[in-house]
Amino acid sequence: MLGLILRRLIQLPVIILVIYTITLTLSWAIPGNPLEKPEGRQPSAEVIEAMKRQYKLDSFPAFYTSYLTSATGLDYLGDTLSGKRAREREQAEAAGVAPPTTYVFNLGPSLQYNDWNVNEIVADALPVSVVLGLTAILIALVIGITAGVIGAVKPNSIADLATLMVALIGISLPSFVVGTLLLLVFAVIFPIFPVGGWGKLSGLVLPATTLSLPFAAYIARLTRMGMIDALTADYIRTARAKGLSEMTVLLKHALKNAFLPVLSYLGPATAYAMTGSFVIEKVFSIPGLGQHFVNGVLNKDLFLIMGVVLIFATMLVLFNLAVDVLYRWVDPRIS
Amino acid sequence: MLKLILPFVLLFGSIFAVVASDQPDPPADFTFINRGDVTTLDPQRMSWMQDLRVARLLFEPLVRLDVMTTDYQIVPGVAERWEISEDFKEYTFHLREDAKWSNGKPVTAQQFVYAWRRALLPETAADYTALFQIIDGAKDFFEWRSEQTRLYSIRARDLTAEQKQIESKKLWDEAATYFDEHVALKAVDDRTLTMRLEASTPYWLDLCGFIVFAPVYEPLVSQYEQIDPDTGMIKLQLGWTKPPLLISNGPFVLENWRFKRSLFLRANPEWWAKDTLDIDTIAIPSVEDANSQVLAFESGAVQWVSDVTADYRIQMLADKKAFYDENREQYEELKAQGLDAFAIDAALPDDPRKNVHALAAFGTYWYNFNCKPTLADGRENPFHDARVRRAFAMCIDKQRICDDVMRIGTPVASNMFPPGAIAGYESPKGLKCISDAKTPAEKQAIIDEAKALLAEAGYPNPAEMPRIELLFNSDGGHGLVAQQLAKDWEEFLGVRTFLAQKEIKVYKDDLKKQNFMTGRAGWFADYADPTTFLDLNRTGDGNNDRAYSSPVYDGLLDQAKEETDPEKRMALLAEAERLIMGEDLPLVPLYYYVNIYLFDPDEITGISLHPRLQQDLFNIDVLGDGKGRDEVKHIRNKELN
Repeated sequence: MLGLILRRLIQLPVIILVIYTITLTLSWAIPGNPLEKPEGRQPSAEVIEAMKRQYKLDSFPAFYTSYLTSATGLDYLGDTLSGKRAREREQAEAAGVAPPTTYVFNLGPSLQYNDWNVNEIVADALPVSVVLGLTAILIALVIGITAGVIGAVKPNSIADLATLMVALIGISLPSFVVGTLLLLVFAVIFPIFPVGGWGKLSGLVLPATTLSLPFAAYIARLTRMGMIDALTADYIRTARAKGLSEMTVLLKHALKNAFLPVLSYLGPATAYAMTGSFVIEKVFSIPGLGQHFVNGVLNKDLFLIMGVVLIFATMLVLFNLAVDVLYRWVDPRIS
Repeated sequence: MLKLILPFVLLFGSIFAVVASDQPDPPADFTFINRGDVTTLDPQRMSWMQDLRVARLLFEPLVRLDVMTTDYQIVPGVAERWEISEDFKEYTFHLREDAKWSNGKPVTAQQFVYAWRRALLPETAADYTALFQIIDGAKDFFEWRSEQTRLYSIRARDLTAEQKQIESKKLWDEAATYFDEHVALKAVDDRTLTMRLEASTPYWLDLCGFIVFAPVYEPLVSQYEQIDPDTGMIKLQLGWTKPPLLISNGPFVLENWRFKRSLFLRANPEWWAKDTLDIDTIAIPSVEDANSQVLAFESGAVQWVSDVTADYRIQMLADKKAFYDENREQYEELKAQGLDAFAIDAALPDDPRKNVHALAAFGTYWYNFNCKPTLADGRENPFHDARVRRAFAMCIDKQRICDDVMRIGTPVASNMFPPGAIAGYESPKGLKCISDAKTPAEKQAIIDEAKALLAEAGYPNPAEMPRIELLFNSDGGHGLVAQQLAKDWEEFLGVRTFLAQKEIKVYKDDLKKQNFMTGRAGWFADYADPTTFLDLNRTGDGNNDRAYSSPVYDGLLDQAKEETDPEKRMALLAEAERLIMGEDLPLVPLYYYVNIYLFDPDEITGISLHPRLQQDLFNIDVLGDGKGRDEVKHIRNKELN
């Protein structure tokens, strides 16, 4: 187990470097100038020229290396070792103000949101996306497993058909329809939940439910299949012969095996739930990270694209690692 | 089983902890949804409408424009009085003694010089730097500095780190000296600011009320400036625009700003005119989705939606019309009393249908014609010929575009700017088009005239013309207008058309590089002078995407620049507008923009309906909340109805 973790952690920087190179090359190729605005007043040619020089947008190799050294913390390390940071601190103290914030892993300024550093944007949005994604996965697990078990106990019964139908609807309906419908019913007509925004537990219910539906549907199908397989296995017959109650047989013996495919699905599903919530973020005005993916690309905001991609790539690798570890812990047969 | 459940219990616990630790802002007196997310609160760098709107709450420039008057009266801001020379070139402002920053320190003339100098540095990337270059010597300084830093960055490649430190510092000292010596902007003492302009500029006072001309608190901002030894430019560190650091001098102070979540503002106890405020706190939540914005209003979470873009706004406006029809008699009676539109709404019976408001905005939607002889790919460009442009501009049924495509009450545009937006200026009559025809015979006459123009230009058979390409961007509903336009040209002229739909960045790029035949565009005015639109068609202007170049037109604008008699000046500008709207047609205006608001007129007052549609939210009063005067505010001088 320790070997696995160690191996993956050594692979991590290599994977990230490859992703960084590919993403930056692609983002660089997006047509348009990141310093230009989609509408309205445009900066003059001199300004664009000056900004390009300042952000090193005039040369791909220069940008590639300077972003890499600043995002990986090498710049910070260099500044600390050369005593530059200490000098700045002294200057600020002499002037009697707090020194401007410096980041160890500096992801650069956002080109579109002039006042914000990508670090701040990510620090603000990442917890939101994580919480929303995890809650959705939790809800999906509860709904999905319940529906799956009900379906498997009496295959082709009305209950099974009903869960199948709900699952189908969950997968097929786009989230902006579900989201808007839920908002209309549970926030405007019956004002139980807030219309949108972030910061209250009640505000998490509608968006997390909307986000969870496609996952719940998939988990339900996985569980149902696994359960039907498990319920015909010999060890279940043994368990029943022992005189165990049906509940114990189902939940303790059958579900344990049936859950394994669900568990392996959880890794990518959780990552997807955290990144793929763009539409839901929009409908429910949730300040998550998903929107920055899309907006970053649309505005060719290179720093934002790279920052968000790097963070997510790291998370994805760590997630898959976590699932692998969990898998081995639950099922010791796998080595 | 426990093994399986344990991780999830832990997860749930941490989710709860994260959400519980994330406290939202308290409820505010007034809550509204801005046009979009605020990108910056640095006055000199901003240009988005949503940024300007919030900045007007936080900062105060020399003068203010009173948006609750029909002629946008200029009233004292930080300056309590001012003198203007007869030729509109020399301005002296006297700052009031009680103008203070939110930390209690006085606002000084030197801080204005500092802020405006920032706007004139190319590295600040101020979108409105051109407006500051009206000051004598400012343009020269801007260009000089651009050149100096460009040369430095080449020189710096061969310098050692230590040399760079010294050299870049020297470069900056030179720039500061150059500014003091060459730019005619001076702080005579702490409370007197003088400036000399390059040319007579009667609208300069109006500009001094524009929020990008607001001062910034030098002791704070200068701490965030650093000289970059590699480029020699001033590099601004981020952070000073955020609470609790931001120090401002306007009606409100920034208490909280969370990216893409919300802003929270509180009345500034140090503001000299704080007694005029009728509310204490303003919250600006970020709600991006068009439908969610309307839902937020209907659930009572917000009191004003400043830009309703949900598709069903068309239905909402139809409902409002039905509401007026039901109360026709009372409506006419109130109108006869001279009440403005919001006051009429407030007086009518309570009904949710009356909460939607369509207002004419100071902006125009148009199609550009590429005026270059050849297209970017070398093909011949039929629109190089003004007669072709005129023919195409005539053969548009603008009324049909407004009535059948837009359906939100946009007025047909026959000129560059909406009537009544600029005091003392009247647009000449624009070129006639299909929708001006009252009878089929008149319509045929217009078509015949257009076809004759095409024949003159060498296209006797329009069907054989090169295929006409219409460039537009995919989002924002521009496709429908393009389709209707293409249909008009096919129907009336018999030409072949092609709809070139592009992603916004590509579209923008194509416009800039003149890689189009005709392409959609639009413009909102910055200040109350015709030049805010007319300058766009000057030869070589950065926003002249049409590549239109006419010595006569440029000459008229230059002449107007020298003219010191305001009336004669306006006549020259009107002649320039006539030239492009009646003869040369580098662009054809389709309609004037309309802005749709959502608010309950029985609850909110202090929103201006002047066509410039600037909203100064320190005028807002929430009726019946027991704070402030709680009286309906009318726009003064009733002409506007």
